Amino acid sequence: MFGTLFLKECKQVLRSMVYYIYVVAFVMFLSSQLGGELTDKMEKPVPGQGSYGTIVSHEESVVMGNIMANLVGETENNSYATYPLGFYKRVTLNEEELSQVKEIIENCTGKKWEEIIGEMEEHFSGYDQGTVEGAIQAQMEYRADVKDTLKYEDFCSSMEKVCQLIGAGSSYSSKKLEAGVGAPMSYEQALEEYEVFCREDKVTGATARLFCDYAGIVLSVLPIFLGVTRCLRDRRAQAEQVIFAREASVFQIVGSRYLANVCMAFLPVVFTAFVMQLPYQFHAETLGVAADALAFLKYSFVWLLPEIMAVLAVSFFITELTGGVISIFVQVFWAFASLFSAVGLQGDFALKLIARWNALGNTREFLRQRQELFLNRGFYFGLSVLLLILTFAIYEKKRREGGSIYGKIFKGRK
Amino acid sequence: MEKYLRAGSSFARRQYAPHLFITLLFCVMSVFFVSFRNLDDFQAAKVMEMYVSFAGILLMTPLFFPEQNPEIWLLKKSKATPLWHLYLIRLLMAVFFLAVIVTGFTQMMRQGDSQFDMRNLWIGSFCEMFFLGSIGFFVSGITNQAVLGYMVSVLYFVANIGAAKYLGKFALFQMAKGQYDFMVPMTAAALLLVTGGIVLRERISA
Amino acid sequence: MDTRIEIKDLSKNFGRKQALSHVNLEIGQGMFGLLGPNGAGKTTLMKIITTLTKKSSGEVKLCGIPVEECGKIRKMIGYLPQDFSMYGNMGAYEALDYLAVLSGMNKKERAERVTEMLEKVNLGEQRKTKVKAMSGGMKRRLGIAQAMIHNPKIIVVDEPTAGLDPEERVRFRNLLCEIARERIVILSTHIVGDIEATCENIAVLDKGEILFQGTVAQLLEGVKGKVYTMEVSTMELPMIQEQFLVTGILTGGSTAHIKIISEEVPMEGALPAGGDVEDAYMYLMNHDSASRNRA
Repeated sequence: MFGTLFLKECKQVLRSMVYYIYVVAFVMFLSSQLGGELTDKMEKPVPGQGSYGTIVSHEESVVMGNIMANLVGETENNSYATYPLGFYKRVTLNEEELSQVKEIIENCTGKKWEEIIGEMEEHFSGYDQGTVEGAIQAQMEYRADVKDTLKYEDFCSSMEKVCQLIGAGSSYSSKKLEAGVGAPMSYEQALEEYEVFCREDKVTGATARLFCDYAGIVLSVLPIFLGVTRCLRDRRAQAEQVIFAREASVFQIVGSRYLANVCMAFLPVVFTAFVMQLPYQFHAETLGVAADALAFLKYSFVWLLPEIMAVLAVSFFITELTGGVISIFVQVFWAFASLFSAVGLQGDFALKLIARWNALGNTREFLRQRQELFLNRGFYFGLSVLLLILTFAIYEKKRREGGSIYGKIFKGRK
Repeated sequence: MEKYLRAGSSFARRQYAPHLFITLLFCVMSVFFVSFRNLDDFQAAKVMEMYVSFAGILLMTPLFFPEQNPEIWLLKKSKATPLWHLYLIRLLMAVFFLAVIVTGFTQMMRQGDSQFDMRNLWIGSFCEMFFLGSIGFFVSGITNQAVLGYMVSVLYFVANIGAAKYLGKFALFQMAKGQYDFMVPMTAAALLLVTGGIVLRERISA
Repeated sequence: MDTRIEIKDLSKNFGRKQALSHVNLEIGQGMFGLLGPNGAGKTTLMKIITTLTKKSSGEVKLCGIPVEECGKIRKMIGYLPQDFSMYGNMGAYEALDYLAVLSGMNKKERAERVTEMLEKVNLGEQRKTKVKAMSGGMKRRLGIAQAMIHNPKIIVVDEPTAGLDPEERVRFRNLLCEIARERIVILSTHIVGDIEATCENIAVLDKGEILFQGTVAQLLEGVKGKVYTMEVSTMELPMIQEQFLVTGILTGGSTAHIKIISEEVPMEGALPAGGDVEDAYMYLMNHDSASRNRA
């Protein structure tokens, strides 16, 4: 029975307008973000290049210089980016707070504020700020060096004071310091990166990761609507009672619906990933690398499927529980919180719904964090299963007792 | 007149209340997510555009909820009061709440010593919220599926994060870039969507 | 094989409100009518039988199986709820096939049964008609087809003729009678005509209590010799209605031909007449509420 039901559910999904909007929105988003040619970023580095890109560095002097540069920049504009509860929040300080921060900066660098600003302006004037590349490179290479005598521990405690002034979730928290900073690569480092990129990623692995990065963003929102639509459908069509009274078990009814929606939601993802991988598969040949032809499948399976599962499971759970559209508000909020809470755009997976890796390559750093990604995705897989079981229980309760649980509470209150 | 007031208050109590509650919750939660202190024009605009504008979706999409059931729709169609009168009443109600929210937020920023052009920000924010909401209103109106209304309007918001350049004068988040010339075309589009939503819905039979 | 529904001392409370109070019923094969005004507790009783609501106390057994064993019960019941519909975008065949799958039927069984049932309810030609395009009568026929698709021993239909035109109503009743030949069909309704035309055994439910249980003939027995007809002036009507239980009025000009139920000859000029089920039902409802009021 399960198989037949599953196929029928898939057919139902195929007939819903929500699904077509899902597919079109997904493909459009991905092609708008990944449409451009990336192959020029995959060349083997040659000595004497202007820049070799960035790498994550945990070296104390680099971290201090980089963090301090950021602080100088933000203080000059009196505009601090913070993520107190995951959402981006811009903080502006008053005169007194601002002068306290400036004092901390002066203490750490051993220079006067005006002197520091002068150096910063001088640095930036050396780059062509008119082009995006120039501006990025200027930003990347800018460092505000701390005085030689400053110990890392003292630097950390100074930053803690800064955190107290700005508020929670700033770029100067100890957590942020531990995550390391982006630093320009040398030729040797770049060459080493390139070799790992060819050996471990086999080109397509890196593109698949970038694909997953973008796809993960839309997939935190899109499946919500599939789930809510499916769960509200029975009541909308006045078919609830008839279905309740049938022999099929809750596992068969809700399970087949859930699985069908997961599969149908995943299908366009795999397909798009496959199509987008093709050019890079050919490009790998020109680099003399045997591409990993199944990278798109491996990555989307591990990276995106648990996300789709979790988003759908939450929407099934909340919608069965409340019988309304509230799941949309909760989950869109959750998705945006997850998106804007990304301190960096690479890694730092923790338990975020959207796992980000907005870089082509950076393979070694990824391998270092891969375990964390597995844990994150494993968590969401487990969460989905748990919520699905809870959804079964709610459905069965409704089936035996009638009405939504939320509805009962609501009615009881009136 | 009295009949309309009664229709409006009945809608507010029976169907709209949970949505108003969610919107209120959304507004209250802003204190955790956005700052109201010492903002300049751009920063204030960002708060309104990136956060507050969502209230447009919350308030304007569920306005067709009561008639989502075809039988109730048919029943109400047969009543003396034309349905579009009811829709208009609800719309005015939503617009009123939007205005309250915009006023509330701009005042809070004022209280926090922010410096911005009140008139521009108020009108601009209201325009964007009304426009975003009108998308949800239009789609849920013609499809008779509120979920689709939410989906399209939320996706429009998302599209503006990544692909604003394709949307021209209808792109959101313009004020945060210091541009205010979107107001007229956007208001026109919103009015068109709202009218279109009501007119087309009246033409579709339940 | 036991083909009976036994209900013993069944009660159901929703919070403080008692929807069913100490109901005792025994239902055998054939058509069984459950009559009662709106809000009498009929739907609650139907829902308990079809496992869609839990009982508060008492015992309900369907063919010897307690109603708590949902899985087994669902296998042997077919249910047509009051406001039956299906997904609007499905055709008649598809909708029926979908529900047949949920009833655990395999592909071969479905292929045969679905076509057969559609023919039986006269939807054979409209097998592709979408549910959203169906008239009330068509939907109801599809509803009865889905209730019978898995050949259940018990079929429960809740207010099936409400909203149907007279022709559709007659056709629907005939269909139910045909089905009831080899199984139990419980028909719940507030329309007396439905019961009169189809059921042998009936029960009358009011305010959650069983007022009467027996055959139609027994119900009629209750009003035997108590029905009178008479001609009165329309001016007198309000007064008479206050004094007596009037079950029929046919006005013509300044006079009205009325039907009265009364323990004794109501007034001069009243002629004894034969009572029908509607009279008996009205008498029962009125008599009982009067006695309850006295108590």
